[in-house]
Amino acid sequence: MNKLIIKNVSKTYPNGVKALDDVSLELENGLFGLLGPNGAGKSSFMRTLSALQEADSGSAMLNEIDIFKTPTELRKVLGYLPQEFGVYPRITAEQLLNHMAVLKGITKASERKEEVNYLLNKVNLYEKRNKSVKGFSGGMKQRVGIAQALIGNPKLIIVDEPTAGLDPGERNRFYNLLADVGEEVVVILSTHIVEDVKELCTKMAVMNEGKILYQGTPNNAIEELEGKVFQKMVERKELNEYADNFSVISNKMVGGKPVIHVYSDEKLGDGFEMVKPDLEDVFFSKINTSHKLV
Amino acid sequence: MFKTFFLSELNYRFRQPMIYIFLGIISLLVFGATSSDNVQIGGAVGNVLRNSPHTITMFTTVMSIFGLLMGAAFFNNAALKDYSNGFNEILYSTPLSKPGFYFGRFLGALVASTVPLLGVFIGVYLGSIVAPAVGWIDADRFGEMSIMTVISNYFLFILPNMFFAGAIIFALAIKWKSAVISFVGAMIIVIGYTVSGSLLSDIDNETLGALVDSFGIRTYSNVSKYYTSTEMNTLNPSFGGLLLLNRLLWIGVGSVVLLFSYFNFSFLNKNKKEKKKVSKDKESIVEAIVLLKPQTTTIYSAVGVWSQFKSFFSINFLSITKSVTFKIFLIFALLIFVTQLFGGFEYMGLKSYPLTYKMVDAINAASSLFIMIMLVFFSGELIWRDRESKINEVIDATPHVSFISLFAKAISLISIVSLFYFLFVVLAVVYQLLSGYTNVELDIYFKAYLLKYLPMYITYTGVMILVQVLLNNKYMAYFVSILLLYVSSMILSAFDIESNMLFIGGRPSLMYSDMNGFGPGIKGALWFNAYWILFALVCLFIAGMLWNRGIVSSLKSRITKARKEVPKKYFISMMVTFGLWITVAAFVFYNTQILNSYKTGDQQELILANYEKKYKKYEKVTLPKITKVKYFVDIFPEERAMDVKALIKLENESHHVIDSLHFNLSDKWDTEFNIPNSELVYHDEEYGYIIYKLKKGLQPHQTLDIEVNNKYTTKGFGNTVGARTIINNGTFVNNFEILPGLGYAAGMELSDKNTRKKYGLAPKKRVPDLEKTCSGTCMSNYLTNGVSDYIDVETVISTSNNQMAIAPGSLIKEWKENGRNYYHYKVDHASQNFYSFISARFEVAKRNFRGIDIEVYFDKKHGVNVNMMLDAVERSLDYYITNFGPYYHKQCRIIEFPRYANFAQAFPGTMPYSESFGFVMNLESEDDNNVIDAVISHEMAHQWWAHQVVGADMQGGTMMSESFAEYSSLMTMKTMTDNPMKMRQFLKYDHDKYLRGRSGERLKELPLYKVENQQYIHYGKGSVILYALQDYIGEDKVNTAMRNFLEEYKYQAPPYPTSLDFLKHLEPQVPDSLKYLITDWFKDITLYDNRVKETSYKELANGQFEVEINIESAKIKADSLGVETKVEMNDWIDLGVFADHEEDSLVFQKRVLINAPKMTFTFVIDDKPVRTAIDPRMLLIDRVYKDNSKSVQLKQ
Repeated sequence: MNKLIIKNVSKTYPNGVKALDDVSLELENGLFGLLGPNGAGKSSFMRTLSALQEADSGSAMLNEIDIFKTPTELRKVLGYLPQEFGVYPRITAEQLLNHMAVLKGITKASERKEEVNYLLNKVNLYEKRNKSVKGFSGGMKQRVGIAQALIGNPKLIIVDEPTAGLDPGERNRFYNLLADVGEEVVVILSTHIVEDVKELCTKMAVMNEGKILYQGTPNNAIEELEGKVFQKMVERKELNEYADNFSVISNKMVGGKPVIHVYSDEKLGDGFEMVKPDLEDVFFSKINTSHKLV
Repeated sequence: MFKTFFLSELNYRFRQPMIYIFLGIISLLVFGATSSDNVQIGGAVGNVLRNSPHTITMFTTVMSIFGLLMGAAFFNNAALKDYSNGFNEILYSTPLSKPGFYFGRFLGALVASTVPLLGVFIGVYLGSIVAPAVGWIDADRFGEMSIMTVISNYFLFILPNMFFAGAIIFALAIKWKSAVISFVGAMIIVIGYTVSGSLLSDIDNETLGALVDSFGIRTYSNVSKYYTSTEMNTLNPSFGGLLLLNRLLWIGVGSVVLLFSYFNFSFLNKNKKEKKKVSKDKESIVEAIVLLKPQTTTIYSAVGVWSQFKSFFSINFLSITKSVTFKIFLIFALLIFVTQLFGGFEYMGLKSYPLTYKMVDAINAASSLFIMIMLVFFSGELIWRDRESKINEVIDATPHVSFISLFAKAISLISIVSLFYFLFVVLAVVYQLLSGYTNVELDIYFKAYLLKYLPMYITYTGVMILVQVLLNNKYMAYFVSILLLYVSSMILSAFDIESNMLFIGGRPSLMYSDMNGFGPGIKGALWFNAYWILFALVCLFIAGMLWNRGIVSSLKSRITKARKEVPKKYFISMMVTFGLWITVAAFVFYNTQILNSYKTGDQQELILANYEKKYKKYEKVTLPKITKVKYFVDIFPEERAMDVKALIKLENESHHVIDSLHFNLSDKWDTEFNIPNSELVYHDEEYGYIIYKLKKGLQPHQTLDIEVNNKYTTKGFGNTVGARTIINNGTFVNNFEILPGLGYAAGMELSDKNTRKKYGLAPKKRVPDLEKTCSGTCMSNYLTNGVSDYIDVETVISTSNNQMAIAPGSLIKEWKENGRNYYHYKVDHASQNFYSFISARFEVAKRNFRGIDIEVYFDKKHGVNVNMMLDAVERSLDYYITNFGPYYHKQCRIIEFPRYANFAQAFPGTMPYSESFGFVMNLESEDDNNVIDAVISHEMAHQWWAHQVVGADMQGGTMMSESFAEYSSLMTMKTMTDNPMKMRQFLKYDHDKYLRGRSGERLKELPLYKVENQQYIHYGKGSVILYALQDYIGEDKVNTAMRNFLEEYKYQAPPYPTSLDFLKHLEPQVPDSLKYLITDWFKDITLYDNRVKETSYKELANGQFEVEINIESAKIKADSLGVETKVEMNDWIDLGVFADHEEDSLVFQKRVLINAPKMTFTFVIDDKPVRTAIDPRMLLIDRVYKDNSKSVQLKQ
C-alpha cells in the first residue's frame, strides 16, 4: 500500500496570487479525484507534487520519499500527464514512448520494446505506432500521454485535467485505463468535470482558491446533502430575487428556463421540490459559499 | 480602407520600441564609424571626407543588409500578426477590402522598415558635429552635407532595397504563416547577395555582377570604381545608367512577387492538403487484448545515463535534420558551393587545380555564414524545443539528469553542423574526382575539421546554450548571441583590445600549405582550442545548473534552487573543469601576453610616432656603406630557429670622418655586435635603437670589418600566428630581416597624413621630389636606401639534413656535417644588397640556356607547371638578352615558398615564387591568360630593371624598375601570339589596376615620371603607357631607348639615375609628330574619353564594304585630386573594324588624326564589318572603354 501524505503546503506566486493555501491531504492506493473550478490551483498543486514547481512551505511524502527535498527519487516512481501535453514534431508514437522509457530508466532495449508494445496495445494505439504523434487527434494524443505516464512501475500517477476536449467515447476508454491502474498505485486525477470524479473516484477533494474545501468519499459528500437540496424552475427576471432570499447552490437552464438548486436545512415549499443531491450539488455547494448566481 | 490599414500599421510600429531600438543601433554604428579611426566601414581615407556623399552611400549600402534583417521582422509581423494572435478568423470575416488590407499593411511595413536606415544620416550628421568638437577627428575631415545625398540614398537604395526584400518576406509570410520561413527568406536574400558577388568578381563579368546585385551595392561600386577623391567628395549616386537600371530591375522583380502573392492571397482558409489525417471512424477498436504488464527493471546508474543521453541525442538530432529549415539551409548552401566551384576565378580569369586545401577553403566560404546562423538558430530551437512542443512537463517529471539533456542538446547541435560540413566534403570530393583530379587528401578534410571547425562549433554551442539558458527568452538570446558574434569584436577593436582570448573562438589563424601543413600557428591553435573547448564546457555546466526545469522561474530563484539541488558530484566536476580552464587560460596568457608579448595596433602606431620623434634627428647622420658581406646562416627548421653570423665590410664613402655607428634592432632577434675599437654609448631597448662610438674615427675611404651575430628563436606560441618566415618547411627570409638595420629607419615612419596628424607629426613626403640636377638624393637608390650599392656577397648556409638551403649566387661547395646539409654560395657579379635565404624540402628541375642554369626548386606535389616555368624563363632571357643586354649571373632560380604570402619577388638571380601563385594554377587551356608567363617574365625583367639599373630614391624611381619590368613582360607575351587582340586581354587588367588604384589614392596622384612608389601607377599605368608607346613609335625605338639608358647606368656607382635621365634617352627616339606623347603620358595625367557614336556600312558593287564611323573624342587632363579639364585635341588614335562580335578578329585598323570633338571617318574594306571601334586595342586610358566600340548597322 502506497501512501502520499501532504502537509501544510502553501505557494504564493510573485504577483501575489495565492495558488496553494495550507493544503494537507492523505492518500492511499486508488483513484483520488481533485475537483475544482478553473483557476482553483489544481494545476499548481499537481505540478508541485510532480516536483516541477517549488512550494513555499509544507512537506509532501510519498512513502519514504520526501518529494520536495529529493525530487529525483520521486521522479523515479512518478507517472505524470500534465494538463497541456504536446509532442515533438516528426516523432512517431513508438519513438516517443521509447524515449520516455529510456528517461524513466528502462535501459534494456528488449525490455523497453516489450513495455512500449504492451502500453501501445493497452491504449489501443499499436497500429498507429509508426505514425507521427503530431498528427494524432486529441483523444489519441491523450492516450499516448497516459501510456507514457504508465511506463515503468510508477507508484504515484498524476493526471491533470485529462478529459478536457475528449468526446464521450474517448473519455470512457480513458476511464477504463485509469481504473485499471488505480488499484495498485496512488492516482490523482484533477478535473473540473464532476462526472469524472463521480464515475471513477473512491475518494475526492474539492479545491477552490488554493484551499481544500472538502475531502472524503463522493458518497459521504452526497449523503451530507441528503434532504437539503431543493429545485425550482423560475422566471429569468425572478432570479435575483431568489438569489437574495435563498442559499442558491447553482442555476442552470433546462428547456430554456432557469432551474435553481437551493440549499436549505428545512424543507421548502412554494414550488420548490426536494431533489436527490448529486456530486454537482456537492461541488457547487462547496465552492459557491457566497451563493452567487453562476 | 487602404488608408486605415496603412496608418494603423505605421501607428502601431511607431508605438513599439523596436523601431527606435533599430534606429538607435544603426545611428550608433554609423556614428562610431564616422567618428572613430578604429571602426572602418565606409572607406573614408586620405582625401575622402568622412561625410562625403560616397562615404555616406557606402554606409547606406552596407547597412542595407543589417536593415533588411530588421525590416524582415516588420514585414513578417505585418503579415502574420492577425494569424499569430488568432485574430485572423474574426478579422477576415469582416467585410474588409482585400487590396486595402494587403497593400495597406505592406506599405505601412515598408515605410516603417526604412526608418531604421535613416540612422545612417543621423549617425553621420552627429559624427560630423561631435567628432571635431571633442577632438576625435579633425574638422577638415568633414565637409558640408547635402540634402541631395539623403534623398538619392533614400530613393536609390533604402526604399527599393526594402521594397524588394519586403515583397519577398511579406509574400513568404502570407503564404507559409511561419516566422522561421520569413527569416530564412531574408537570410537567403543576404546570402544570395554575398555569393553572387564572389561569382562575378572577374572584370569580364562586372556589368552582369552589377545588375544581379539585388541591393545595388555592387552596382554602385561598379559605377564609382574609378572615382577620384574629388568625385567621391562631390558626386551623389545618380538616378541614371546602370544603377537606375538595376533599381528598376529589382523593383520590377519585387512587384511581380508582390502581385503574385496578392492574387494568391485569400481571406478564406484554403483547403490544405491534409497530411496523415487520422480518421477515427476507421480506427479499429480492438478489444483490449489482455496482456500482462511486462516486468521491467530500471537502472539509474552510468548505464542509464548513457542510454538517456543517446535517446535525447537521437530525438534532437533527428528532429532537426528532418526539419524544413535544416533542409533549406543545406540545399541552399550546397547550391552556393556548387556554383562557386564551377565559377570562381582567382587571378586573370584563371583557376587553380582543385587541391584539397582549396576545397576546404571553398567549403568554409560557402558554409561558414550558414553554420553561424545554424548555431545561433538551432541553439534556441533545441533549448526551447520541449517547451514549444509543450512536452516539457512530461520530460521534466522523468528521473533524468538535466545536464544530460542539455549535454545531448549541445552534442546534437555540434553534430548537426558537423554533418553539414561533411556533406560538403562529400560534394567537394565528387567535384575533385569529376574534374579529373585524383589526389584527394581525405586526411586534410578531416584535420581541418578537427583543428579549425570542430573547436569553433563546440565553443559557439557552449556559449549560445548558456546565453539561451541565462536569458530564458529565445529571441532575446538570439539577439544577444548575434551581438556576441559580431558586435563584440567591433567593440573590442574600438577599445584596442586584440587578445584572442577575448574574441569568442579566437585563435592564431591556420592556413594549410602543401609545403608546410597547417603551419606555424598550429601549436597556439591547439592551446587556444583547448582553452575555448574548456570554456564551452564550463558554460554548459553553468547552463546545466541553471537549467529551467519545471515551471519557468526567474534567474534568481533558479540560482537558489541550484544551490539546493545540484549534486555535489556535479559541482565538483564543474569546478574541476573550471580549474582546468583557468590553468589552460593561464598558460595561454603566459605564452601570448608575457612570453610573446605583442603590440596592439594603437600601441604600434604610438611606438612608430615616438620613434620618429626621438630619432628623426639621426636621419642625416653620415654612416659608412656596406660593401661586402659574408654570411654564416644556420637554419633549424624543426625548432623554427635561425643563427646568423655576418662579417660585414663597411666603407666610409663620404668626405667626413665617421665617429659612430647607428643600428636598429628588431625585438624578435637577439643581436650581438663585434665592432673593433668601439664602445656602446647608447642603447634604447624599447625602440631598439643602438649607437656604437668608434674610438678612432673612420676616415674617408677607410674600411671597417664588423661582425654581427643575430639569433632567432621561437618560444611557445603567440596571440596571433605572427611572422610566417622561419618555419618547418619553406623558410624564406631576406637580408633586411636577418640583420639589424643600419641607421635611422625612415621606412618605419607613419605614412597616412591623418594618422600622423593625430600624433602631432607633420605630413610626410612619401618620396623626395624629383630633381633635375641631382644632389644628395641621387646617392641612394630606393631598394637599399643608401646603406649600400652593388656589393659582393658570399654565404655559407646550413639546414637540417632533409632540406635544401639556397642563398644567392653560384653553389661552390656542398657537404654534410653533424647530420646537417651545408652549402657555400657566392654571387657571380656584384649586386644590390637585396637577397633571400630559403630552406625547404625541394625537388629541382634544371635546364641550360646559353650557359645559364635555369633552375626551379619546387615541392614534390607541385611539378605540373614546372616545365612551363622553365620555358617562361628561357623565353624571357631570350628577349631581354637580345633587346636589352647580357645577363650577369650564372643561374636563374625560381624557388617555391609556402602560400602564406601570395607574390613573386626578384632578388639578383633568384626569384622566390609563392606556392599558390602559379605552381597550383590550372594552365592547361591555351586560350587562357597564362599567369606563369606573365609573372615570370616580369620577375625576370627585374634582373635588368632593378638589379642592373635602379632608380634614385626619389619620385619616378620605380618607373625604371616596375614599369619597365611590366612592359618587358608584355613584350615577351607579345612574341607568343599573332593576334593583336590577345594583348588586350592582358592590358585590360592593367587599365583596371590603374583606374581602380587612382580611385583609392590617399594623397595625390602623380604623373608616371614622378610616381611615388604607387603600384597602380608604376605597374598599371606604366605598362599601359609603355606598351602604347612602342605601338606608336615602334618596339625597337622604345627598346633602344631603354638599352641606351641601361648602358649608361648599368652597375654604376651612385649617383643613381632618375626618370628624367631615361626621358633624355627616350626623346631622340620619338618623332616630332608624336612628341606630345611624352608630355601627355609621362609628365601629365591624361585620360581619354572616346566613343563610337554612330556607325554604318554599305556593300559596294565590287564586293567591298564602305564603313562610316562617327566618333566623339576628348582628351582630359586631371590634377592630383582628380579634378578634370578637357584640353584641345590633336592626337593620333586608331580606328578599327572587327569581323566578329567577340572582337577577336581585327580586320582593319587605321591611325587617324583627331582634332575635333566629333568627327566622321569613312573607309573601304574587304571584309564584312561587324563592329567598329575607336582605339580597338585599348592602348589609351579611357574610364569607360565599353562605348569605344559599336555594332555596325547596314545603311538603308
